[in-house]
Amino acid sequence: MTRPHAPCLASALLERFVPDSDPLLGDLIEDFERRPSRCWFWWQVLTAIVAARWSLDRREEIRPLRLVELQPVDAIERSRQRCLRFRAINLSASPLSGVGGLGLAALTFLVTIVSPGTWWVVLASSVAGLLIGVGIIAMHAKPPEALPTIRPDSLRAQ
Amino acid sequence: MPRSLLTDFELMILLAILRVGDEAYGVQIAREIEATAGRRILLGAAYAALDRLEGNGLISSRIGNPTPERGGRAKRFFLVTPRGVRAARDTQQALVALWRDVPQLKERHT
Repeated sequence: MTRPHAPCLASALLERFVPDSDPLLGDLIEDFERRPSRCWFWWQVLTAIVAARWSLDRREEIRPLRLVELQPVDAIERSRQRCLRFRAINLSASPLSGVGGLGLAALTFLVTIVSPGTWWVVLASSVAGLLIGVGIIAMHAKPPEALPTIRPDSLRAQ
Repeated sequence: MPRSLLTDFELMILLAILRVGDEAYGVQIAREIEATAGRRILLGAAYAALDRLEGNGLISSRIGNPTPERGGRAKRFFLVTPRGVRAARDTQQALVALWRDVPQLKERHT
């Protein structure tokens, strides 16, 4: 008999959203061997994500009205790291990458199956949008100003 | 003034680590609390509290070796620092002091 594996998506989500989640994930996998319930595993993962995010937000909170000596010694460094963390986001590490493309493909497939005539509406809308866009650009475009020309006569006079 | 007393959950975790000993890690801490206090805890919540306790210097942790039964993940072992022991004792004394002389909680001897 094969042993059930812990849900991969739940594990990936935990690794993505909880920093340093390796020991926690190991504990969950170890406990999953004892009680192989997917619902239990998912519940543990979701609560862990919520608890970690809440805890992280509270830990990184810098309160300007507090006295200076009550601030953590590395407050400035934490603040700087936080800014950097939110600036640099590696989307390729996300387990959800490709969901947008898959969703678009699924929507296209669904429209084709359920109502193929919709594509004519989409095409007509696109052409109309294109024509309106071109019309607006043509209306607002300024005619090119005439460049000053130098006549050979004037050169000769100088 | 920094907080010196612990919440009930933090106190339970600290006492569970002390009871388990040197090899205390997440699953064992959760099982100890479940077996002793009869309270089933969420591992994610336990880790959030453990991180908080470590941030306050009440416990320390070290990473062990990865094991196959855990999907190749390492264990994180926890130890209570002397400051943690002192915090547990302070909390105990505060609770006992509050407990004392409360008429509703006094045992009735017949």
